[in-house]
Parts: sequence; structure tokens; C-alpha cells
Amino acid sequence: MRRLNKDVIGALTVLAVLALAPLAAQSDYVTGILTVSLIFGIWAVSWDFMSGLSGRENFGHALFIGAGAYTAAFVDGKFDLSPWWGLPAGALVAVLFSLIVGFPTLRLRGPYFALAMLAAATIMQRLMRIFWQYTGGEEGIPGLDPLFDEPLSTYYFCLGALALVTAALLALARSSWGTILRAIRGDEAACQAAGINVTFYKIASLVISAACAGTGGALYADYQQAVTPDVFAVALSITIIIMVYVGGMGSIYGPMGGAIVLALLPEVLRGLGEYRLWVYSVILMFILFFSPDGLVAPLWRRLRGAP
Amino acid sequence: MTALLKVERVTKRFGGLVAVRDVSFELRPGEIAGILGPNGAGKTTLFNLLTGFIALDLGTVEFEGGSLAGLAPHRIVNRGLARTFQLCRPFRGMSVFENVVVGCLAPRVRRAGGTEARARRILDQVGLAAKAAVPVDALSYGDLRRLEIARALATNPKLLLLDEPFAGLGSSEIEPLSALIRRLHAEEGLTILIIEHKLREFMQLVQRVIAMDFGEVIAIGPPAEIVRHPRVVEAYIGRTEAPLGIA
Repeated sequence: MRRLNKDVIGALTVLAVLALAPLAAQSDYVTGILTVSLIFGIWAVSWDFMSGLSGRENFGHALFIGAGAYTAAFVDGKFDLSPWWGLPAGALVAVLFSLIVGFPTLRLRGPYFALAMLAAATIMQRLMRIFWQYTGGEEGIPGLDPLFDEPLSTYYFCLGALALVTAALLALARSSWGTILRAIRGDEAACQAAGINVTFYKIASLVISAACAGTGGALYADYQQAVTPDVFAVALSITIIIMVYVGGMGSIYGPMGGAIVLALLPEVLRGLGEYRLWVYSVILMFILFFSPDGLVAPLWRRLRGAP
Repeated sequence: MTALLKVERVTKRFGGLVAVRDVSFELRPGEIAGILGPNGAGKTTLFNLLTGFIALDLGTVEFEGGSLAGLAPHRIVNRGLARTFQLCRPFRGMSVFENVVVGCLAPRVRRAGGTEARARRILDQVGLAAKAAVPVDALSYGDLRRLEIARALATNPKLLLLDEPFAGLGSSEIEPLSALIRRLHAEEGLTILIIEHKLREFMQLVQRVIAMDFGEVIAIGPPAEIVRHPRVVEAYIGRTEAPLGIA
């Protein structure tokens, strides 16, 4: 009970800091950077729910992000519907992609799922360029309507979305659903021998993960008021995995912190000019070397005291 | 009395090797039986065939009158046929309690509710209650063996298949585990089928033995008869002294 209280206090503190941050900065530029960091939070948390818990690494989370972003762009830019339709539509198309990749590959053990995700995201990135008549090619689809006119409103909407996604996935991860995913990570055959429909839990978790990531992708398109094929990039998928590692894999709340910290770090280091990426990489290596379980989740466990 | 498990002419090939050939036997409800055979006789393959981890080439397996052919492993468990593994396969990174909870989440028992209470009761039954909160990575081999049985019990089976439950244990650990298996049979009315190499304990435990060699059943009968059966003796001569030693 005490542990729960501390968790609630911790969550409310983080929420309060995030709510006040753009007010303290008083700059649309900073608000924009913070908004993107929140969207990265949604992507990292949704990656962690499927892959962090079950141990089935997904090397192409950008597939769901891109699917959500392009769907939102089509809904708004081509079909001329309200940008609000982009959110559920983006989630739906991402779910469709998760079923297409998950169904054949998650029934198997081995690296097929990880590789299929990587390949699917890369293929989609190519297709966006090949079918430039429809997708705008390298330039993508610009000139989308924003969800809100005020950057601050967009920020608070994204903050609400991140809080909702994190709370929901954390609750699910701490329920028997999470216990089963961790058992799958431990030993898949033994999990079947315990009477668990392993394939169902893997595919259903991927669907949930995709729905969240797709919504995040749609938010990203709305925030940028444009999409380009880069939303399918391998680099984006890898960035998200690094954020999860730094946050603390399998903890759900950790990757949220990892995503926000790493999304903001390049901005903090901006003063270093050309050395920025170099320092960023060294910091990452130090974190992974000295704290292989990540930074955010272990730190919180220590602050909270006892497991 | 009708059979709980009816195995008929079951065959499995791996390429040119026939791992299990034309195996037929029945298990009566409430019986405790064993499968005996030298290494490579096809015992574990037979377990994998019965539990759906490997698909049958030929033959039929009926459990409580219903066919198990083509069912996924988890579906067979939810019919009431659970197994343990020859090598312990705990869920690493989880506690002893959580390991058993996973078995209690099988749809067959989950519907009844009371998941955590059930997990505690089963840990109590196998003598792991005091170690409920311990991470499985810190468990002794003997305790891992018990956990393996506990996880299978959690699914509330009617038939329990134990694949070498004494493997890797010293004699001081075998005796209490043997007593546990006997208790499950006597008190819970569980039907049990055991594969084992430790012949002394095995022969005292089981009521009936199915002897296998080169994938075939060579004899079925009570333990005292089986150890004198000419084909069983022949299968063991030159391989190990043990069976003759205890006969």
C-alpha cells in the first residue's frame, strides 16, 4: 500500500513538472521540443509493453509509427476530414500492419519477428518514395491542419495521451497479462505447458503496442503538420529501443522517462555545436556500460526504497 | 473401466530415424505407471507426442474419449493433461510464487477464480511455501524439480506426465520427492505416468511399467515381471548394470 502511494506521488510529481515545464520556458520552440519528447514517450512505452515484457524484440516499431502518421496525413490532406479522425484511423491502420506481420511470425520462435518488423518498416519507407504520386515521395505530405491552433494546447493533449497510455499499459503490465508476458520471456515452451495460449498473448500485445504507437504517429504528423518517409526509418526504431534501454526495459514507466530525457538531451547539448552528437553517444555508452539495467527505473526503485 | 488415456499405434519419424514406432497402451484412471527404457528409446519423444509439442505421423491419442490429434500444447493442458520437463524450465527472472501463478492462469483453472490462493495452496502442497518470494534463479536443483511439478499441478490436471522427476538429484532429495508423488497419487487421485532412470525408486513407485526400446514397446506389466522379462533384460545387458542389480 505504501509502495503504491509512493508510486502515485512519483507519477503526480512527474506529471506536474511536465505540466509546468512549457509555462516556465515561455517559448514556442521549447514547447515544440517538449511535445516531441512526449510523443517519443508514447512510442517507447508501447515498445516496452510488447517487447520489453515478452522479450520478443521489435526492430521496426517505426512501421506502426509511419502507418499512423501517413494515415493521419491521408485522412487530413487527401480525404479532407477533420484531423481528429487521424488519431483513431492511424491506430487502426497500425493494428492492421501488426496483424499482417505478427500473425505469421509470432507463431514461430526465433528471430523471424524481429527481422520481419525491420524489413516491413524499410519496405514501407521505400514504397512511400516509389508511389510518389500518392505519397508525395521524399517531400511527403505537407500542409496538414493542426489539431489545435495553440502549441501549448497540442502539448497538453500529448501529455494527456502519454499519461493515459502509460497508466493503462502499466496497469496491464502489473496484471496477470504482464505475468504471462514475463513468463513467455522466461520460457515459451514451459508457458505452453502451463496451459497458456502463448501465440494469442504475443499477437494481442503487439496489437495493443501498435495501436498506441500508431496514435503517437498520428500525433506526430499533426504536430509537424507534415509527414515524410523518415517516419518509417530504421534510425527511428533504433532510437526508441535505446530510449527503452536507458529507461529500464520491462518497467513501462522507465522508458517514458528514458524517452523524454534522450529526446531533450540533444537540445541541452546544443551549446556544444558540432561535438553534440559525439557527446550524446559517449553519454549513451556510459549509461549502458555502467547501468545495463537502465537509468530511470532503477533510480526510481532506489528512491522509493525496497522492491 | 474405460481408459483415461488411450494411445494407439502412435508413430513418429525424424527423417530416416523412427523415434517412436507403433506404440499402443492405455492408462486407467487413478493408476500410476512408468515408462522404462534405455537412452534413445523414444520415451521423451512419446511425451512430446502426447502433449502436442510434436505432431504425430500416424496413430491416435484419446484422452477421456476425445481425440488430442492436432491440438496445440496449451489446449491439451486445458483438457487436463499436464507435463513436466526433463530439464527444469522455470520462468527466469520471476519469483517461485509467480511461476506457479502462471499455471493457475490456464483458462481451465482461471475461470474458477482465486488464482493467488490456489497458487499458495499448491506451493504448500509441494513444500515450497516458505520460498514463495524467492527468485527462481536462487533455487536449488531439488527445489526447481518441485517447482516443475507445482507448475503442472497448478493447471489442475487429471493426468500428470513426469519426465525424469529425479534427474540430477541425490538420494537424500529423491526420497521426499518420491513421497510427494505418492501422496499426489493417493490423496489427489491423480493419474500419473513417469519416465525415470533411477530404477530402485521407480520400481517402488509405479504399479505398471511400459518398457520401450528403439522406439517400440517391448513389454507391459507389473514392475516385478518387467525386470525379469527376457526382452527387457536383453535391452539393458551391456548398457548398464543397474536393472539386473536390483532385479
